[in-house]
Amino acid sequence: MYRYIYVIPEAIGRSVLKMCASIGRIAIFFYDFVVSLFTPPFYIKSLLNQLVRIGYNSLPVIGLTAFFTGGVLALQIYVGGSRFNAENIVASIVALGITRELGPVIAGLMLAGRVSASISAEIATMRVTEQIDALITLSTNPMKYLVVPRVLAAVISLPILVIIADIIGIMGGFVVGTKTLGFIEQSYIKNTLDIIELHDVMSGLIKAAVFGFIVAFMGCYHGYNSTGGAQGVGRSTTLAVVSASILILASNYILTSLVFTN
Amino acid sequence: MDHILKINELSKSFGDKSVLDNLSINIERNKSQVIIGGSGTGKSVLLKCILGLIEPDGGEIFFNQQILNKKNRADIDFHSKIGMLFQGAALFDSLNVQENITFGIKKLDSNHVNLTEIAVDKLKKVGLDSSVLCLYPSELSGGMQKRVALARAIARNPELLFFDEPTTGLDPIMADVINNLINEVIEEVGATAITITHDMESAKKIADNISMLYKGAVIWTGDAVDINSSNNPYVDQFIKGSSEGPIKINPND
Ligand SMILES: Nc1ncnc2c1ncn2[C@@H]1O[C@H](COP(=O)(O)OP(=O)(O)OP(=O)(O)O)[C@@H](O)[C@H]1O
Ligand SMILES: [Mg+2]
Repeated sequence: MYRYIYVIPEAIGRSVLKMCASIGRIAIFFYDFVVSLFTPPFYIKSLLNQLVRIGYNSLPVIGLTAFFTGGVLALQIYVGGSRFNAENIVASIVALGITRELGPVIAGLMLAGRVSASISAEIATMRVTEQIDALITLSTNPMKYLVVPRVLAAVISLPILVIIADIIGIMGGFVVGTKTLGFIEQSYIKNTLDIIELHDVMSGLIKAAVFGFIVAFMGCYHGYNSTGGAQGVGRSTTLAVVSASILILASNYILTSLVFTN
Repeated sequence: MDHILKINELSKSFGDKSVLDNLSINIERNKSQVIIGGSGTGKSVLLKCILGLIEPDGGEIFFNQQILNKKNRADIDFHSKIGMLFQGAALFDSLNVQENITFGIKKLDSNHVNLTEIAVDKLKKVGLDSSVLCLYPSELSGGMQKRVALARAIARNPELLFFDEPTTGLDPIMADVINNLINEVIEEVGATAITITHDMESAKKIADNISMLYKGAVIWTGDAVDINSSNNPYVDQFIKGSSEGPIKINPND
């Protein structure tokens, strides 16, 4: 009977310890990453490859989601705004909402699904088939050869993707606003341009760079530490996507509340 | 005697499962050392400890009289002096055959050696021709993958070679080509080879010395020619391939 009293505190203790251990491991991995980032050799060709894979190949996904997000935002704000006769704020809120928040967050989450998963599965497969060991025996540091190019590529790509997502998202709002909600095209564009300021866009881009880092770093970390065959590859892929998504939303809140509230 | 590698009392456990148990072995320079032993006795783990891919729990490894640890491996550039054939080939599946074979060469000297020529030359040694140069590992048969991996291991002309089961998965004729190749790198290049194998034919053909591993320790070492007269019941059972003898097949072990 007494034994059952301990079950809950034991479970809590175990998961706390586990969490501390993984934070420690992530910190060590991060330290290795930073050291590798600044010491030669640099694998420029891998970086270019990854820029194509992570950045360029994500364009369709990001463009489509941005378009629909902008469109639905216009519809919803029209409904909300019309309750107190403020339908005219649609253009402004779509512009601010997309550039400050939804552009980077949606792009980040889409990249978490697309890129974290593929990076993690690829590196985990290399781990379980001993390709990472083979790299080491061929005098190649896997951190420099695999991790640095992927993380750099994501940090560079995501802000560029977000600029495109911003433009397409605002266009989505514009299309819905002018075609179904009956706004006049010239005034919609004027309202949009009047409200947006440089720092709105910049704050979104800085977030995007942070999200890009999270996406690739989590993919690499979970792939690199994968164990246990095909099942392990699957597990690390799930972990990569879930942890990247949570970290994106959490860091989004922290960044917004600390830095970008003005 | 001139030893290229000395291993003293190496031990390694995974959890509470002891895999290497105070294992000691010395490897003579410019000789072919074969390691035999049952499945799961720690042969691959031993190689990985030497290579620094697994951190041993205890013991010391000396390479050319210098101790090998994490720091020292980098200092003496240990990995550029060795070649390793992994049991599962471990080819890079995003790179084609030529890029796989010459992967380590780019890192050694950047003055433009002709990489295609090197790749074709090494392929010929493992019984393949240049038609596979542009294929990817997934397009090769298992035995071909093994041979490409072997070509990659010898591509940098290392002084110390590790072969983890080089002839498993090969037909008998191809296995003999590989046996000859191993003899050739030792005689012509002056390298040292450490080969793990279950293939007693191959062991007799390539070995100068043979050691037998059992439960994570070396239980017999000797000249290859003495293997049939070892008077060691474990060795006798192993080379006869009999299920009767001191080595018990216990699935819970
Ligand atoms: N990374 C690891 N984690 C946990 N246990 C391991 C690990 N690597 C090896 N082992 C265990 O160590 C033991 C020895 O493995 P090893 O691969 O060295 O066997 P082996 O002698 O090469 O066998 P085989 O001839 O079948 O290749 C096995 O029982 C295996 O379960
Ligand atoms: Mg093995």
